Amino acid sequence: MAEIVFEKVGKSFGSTKVIENLDLTIEDGKFTVLVGSSGCGKTTLLRMIAGIGPATSGRILMDGKDITHQPPEKRDIAMVFQNYAIYPTMSVRENIEFGLKNKKVPKEERDRRIAEYAEIVGMTPYLDRKPSDLSGGQRQRIALARAMVKKPSVFLMDEPLSNLDAKLRAAMRVELIELQRRLGTTFVYVTHDQIEAMSMADTIVLMEKGEIQQIGSPEEIYHEPANIFSAQFIGTPPMNVLPMEDGIRFGVRPESIDMEHQRVDGMALYRKGHIITREMLGAEMQYKVRLSDGTTIMVRSEENDRSDLQEDSDVWIMARASRIHFFDKDGKHIGHGGPDSLLAKLGGMNE
Amino acid sequence: MTSLSSFTTEQVRELKRIKRRSWLMSYAMILPAILFLLAFVIYPTVSMFIMSLYYGNAMNPYKKFKGLANYNVRPDFWVALRNTAAYTGMALVLVMVLSILFAQWMYKSRKLNNVAQTVFFTPHLVAGVSAGFIWSWLMSSQPYGLFNTVFNALGFSTVRWLDDSSTAMFSIVLMNTWKNVGYYCLIIMSAMKSIPTEIYESARLDGSSSIKTFFKITIPMISPQLFFLLITITTGSFKVFDSVRIMTNGGPGDATRVLSMYIYDYAFERNNTLGYACAAGILMMLLMVAVTVFDFGFVEKKVHYQ
Repeated sequence: MAEIVFEKVGKSFGSTKVIENLDLTIEDGKFTVLVGSSGCGKTTLLRMIAGIGPATSGRILMDGKDITHQPPEKRDIAMVFQNYAIYPTMSVRENIEFGLKNKKVPKEERDRRIAEYAEIVGMTPYLDRKPSDLSGGQRQRIALARAMVKKPSVFLMDEPLSNLDAKLRAAMRVELIELQRRLGTTFVYVTHDQIEAMSMADTIVLMEKGEIQQIGSPEEIYHEPANIFSAQFIGTPPMNVLPMEDGIRFGVRPESIDMEHQRVDGMALYRKGHIITREMLGAEMQYKVRLSDGTTIMVRSEENDRSDLQEDSDVWIMARASRIHFFDKDGKHIGHGGPDSLLAKLGGMNE
Repeated sequence: MTSLSSFTTEQVRELKRIKRRSWLMSYAMILPAILFLLAFVIYPTVSMFIMSLYYGNAMNPYKKFKGLANYNVRPDFWVALRNTAAYTGMALVLVMVLSILFAQWMYKSRKLNNVAQTVFFTPHLVAGVSAGFIWSWLMSSQPYGLFNTVFNALGFSTVRWLDDSSTAMFSIVLMNTWKNVGYYCLIIMSAMKSIPTEIYESARLDGSSSIKTFFKITIPMISPQLFFLLITITTGSFKVFDSVRIMTNGGPGDATRVLSMYIYDYAFERNNTLGYACAAGILMMLLMVAVTVFDFGFVEKKVHYQ
């Protein structure tokens, strides 16, 4: 159990500043996901918590105690690396045991814990195998067991699923969520994958260029994006953002758009459009639509049996007021579903 | 899928012709190598074995058939064998330990290390005979010996490097270590560089001390290269000749008379003893085969291949 606090933390590599003046609190016992594109500083933050890439300025506190300059082995943490960092010359058992031996945990206790965690990750039959005999998913499980067996207060995970195939990744995602619920430990998880972030996190920390763009639950990030970056990072395809007067922009998610041949009353946004492409995704349909002013938007619909909405047909693009987000000229979120003054300016109603 | 039966007879014949041609081609490609092997390895080995059964000299090797009598070795053979073993043991330990230590020191990319690598590697390019000459001057106990000049200036007494039977062999080992360590160090270093940094970070998180990390992670992970070093240094040291010939010529007394010196001596410096030399050569070869088989049979089990 531990809460981690970053206070005005900075990190530079040589003369390149990656992170400056960053404040962040990672809540105790929660599943926190640091998400962002590569180079945004998320892994740098994780390595600071681990102590293998210390901050160049500011302080990091763990449960109120300053750990900024504490060596990694003195911190009560465990980490799972993207490439697993399994010791290839050791058997599965030796891999799991290595940290315990270094901590001078007695033999019986070590054996008991290895048996317990090997069982949890389903690696009991493979304890005496060498990692080179095992698959990627199995190596991943060794890395997990090796981290868990230390019973740390904080679990750090650096893109642990990105080397797995899609099916296994989905399965491991669920297992990791269950694991966190069962252990009740603080998890800090780094990923560039918004789906992983949305599905696993209690709290998402969305980063870009070394700065935090938004902190919130997956629901908040989706429904109340703090800015255009946040609005467009989450969701596939990303939110459509279109200009209005005075640098103000409005956004509407592809899945929030109604598309019909006829105008439907009671909407806030009306635009005429022309379907360019139509993709059948199974449960859903995805359309690329060109508006009359030449801009293109994406539309996503759960109505997957509409044979009348074909490529090259003219349609009405519509959305309810509550689904429309407004952003000021700096890209900051003003609100959604209002204010009325902006809703009235959406225009295109009488096209 | 097309099976062979779906081709016409004419096509099958054509395919077989192509196959035969490519078979001939591949043997033609390795023919030069086979010829070299026959001419410079197989033929000399066989003729050496035949000569070892005769009494004679280099001009006339087959004067009289003696059977296996030459294999009833003389006492000085055992002296030479013991010297060779001593040389090999010292060289093996010294070169292995130093190349691992230097590699560990140099494998981080720093400006100094690039310079150090060049400095360590350059001696490997010097011809063995030249290196032997230079070092016999350096180690000389005459007034022009550089080492002793420095020693005396620092207040130490003169060391009779090559002129004392207790230090002569070690002095030769020292010279050859200086000459070879850079090359082996380079091999170890590239192996160390291929270990992912995450493994070291993971070890730090697991609370492993740097000494423990070195012995439990670095050494096992470079074990294939260490095994390569073991084989090449052992076989190389067994055959040591040029440096010994130049620096001590087997002396003082018999202190540095190694097997190859013994063979050279009996083959070319004495009369009618070629058979002894050839028998010793065969024994030396068998010994090297035995050591290598032992290495592959027992030591290699400890080697971790990726």
